Amino acid sequence: MSGQTTERAARSGRWSVPTWTVVVSLLLCVAGLADATYLTFEHYTQSASLLCSDKGTINCLAVTTSSYSDFHGAPVALLGLLYFVGMTALCLPVAWRLPALRWVRMIGATTGVLFVFYLVWAELFRINAICLWCSGVHVITILLFGVVLFATVMAQPSAAESPGADD
Amino acid sequence: MARSSVQEDRKARAARLREEQAQAERAARRRSTLVVGGVFGLVLLIIVGLVVLKLTQKAPAAATASGAASASVVSAVTSVPSSTFDAVGAPSTLSPVITYHPTAKPLTADGKPRILYYGAEFCPYCAAERWSVAVALSRFGTWSNLGQTTSSSSDVYPSTSTLSFHGAGYSSQYVSFTGYETTTNQPDPAGGYVPLDTPSKSDLAVVDQYDAPPYVPSGDSGSIPFMDMGGTYLLHGPQYSPQVLAGLSHEQIAADLKNPSSPVTQAIVGSANVLTATICKLTHDAPASVCSSAGVQAASSHVPS
Repeated sequence: MSGQTTERAARSGRWSVPTWTVVVSLLLCVAGLADATYLTFEHYTQSASLLCSDKGTINCLAVTTSSYSDFHGAPVALLGLLYFVGMTALCLPVAWRLPALRWVRMIGATTGVLFVFYLVWAELFRINAICLWCSGVHVITILLFGVVLFATVMAQPSAAESPGADD
Repeated sequence: MARSSVQEDRKARAARLREEQAQAERAARRRSTLVVGGVFGLVLLIIVGLVVLKLTQKAPAAATASGAASASVVSAVTSVPSSTFDAVGAPSTLSPVITYHPTAKPLTADGKPRILYYGAEFCPYCAAERWSVAVALSRFGTWSNLGQTTSSSSDVYPSTSTLSFHGAGYSSQYVSFTGYETTTNQPDPAGGYVPLDTPSKSDLAVVDQYDAPPYVPSGDSGSIPFMDMGGTYLLHGPQYSPQVLAGLSHEQIAADLKNPSSPVTQAIVGSANVLTATICKLTHDAPASVCSSAGVQAASSHVPS
């Protein structure tokens, strides 16, 4: 992008990121939203229909009913659901074009990863059990962080006529 | 001729400038990619590090099998000073797990209110509440053959130090007590724990009736610890978190019971005060020296009516 184009693009107030990051981040958010919705449903129905082992190391029930399933009084499953609702909104194509949301999205993704560290630590060293559905959310959160980080660092001001994402 | 040379010179300079710009952009892109790769790699490294740390950690010691409680532990549990009960009172942090059911079937034995405890040695929540039950009942009677064990090493709050009512005796002129530890803390091949005490048919009927809806939410049906106190008061779950006892040996917990400001004492003795105040309702405030004490009076506000 030439200097003149960059200036013109910056004046236009829009940013472009690689198209694949927009698509992948949105898909990850939707997957995370589905997983977190399921875990929240199970939380409020006493995990009565949790499709997962409840014996041994892989033990969703031990994790979802442990004292670590609440964080300062708020159900962790519900926090996860709210997190993915927020991140889905931030990863819509229209949101990617708004420079003001770049750092909000990055902070959101970073917060998610830090919380994953805490939850993985709790599962491994406090509860001594792994919840597969929770691990799914953890993997998605980490991948989402990677994609958002890449897109944020690679973002460039785009020409006014640009659709908001390019290759 | 000269003008053409100047034009060519300008074109060459512009091309050189464009090339330099392109090189600078490529270098910036490479640096960005390195930053992204580095940060993302660090995230993965932390997760992998946690997993490796877990895998290389020494396996937790198998839960200690139940045995007789040491003399020092029994002494500390059965002789908590009155001043400690009064100093602790009933901390507001205790969970309100006792409910009142005036129309339920009375539970008595030998003309005295009967207390039925139903738990298991593997259960970490029972591990927490058992200390308080033992301390509270010590104020109404005498224990014999109290056991000592730990909760399961593979459940939440692993290997929480506790007592065991398996094989224990209790005599009192005020109340009767029956305690069941339905399993040990040792895993069995079926994925559960080795069975221990077998409740009588009538006691099992009490548990089946009162450790189920409408006395508890449907999801908590059959949860332990469960206590029926005189048929009128039910306890579902522990009054405090087993986390309070994490990493402490029996002897450390026993030694802590002398210090009213210790979180361990606040939890165990505070819960014991609430249980004592509940039992006092059943014994019509006997013995007076216990039921009218400041600690029990303070805890009576936690007893539902």
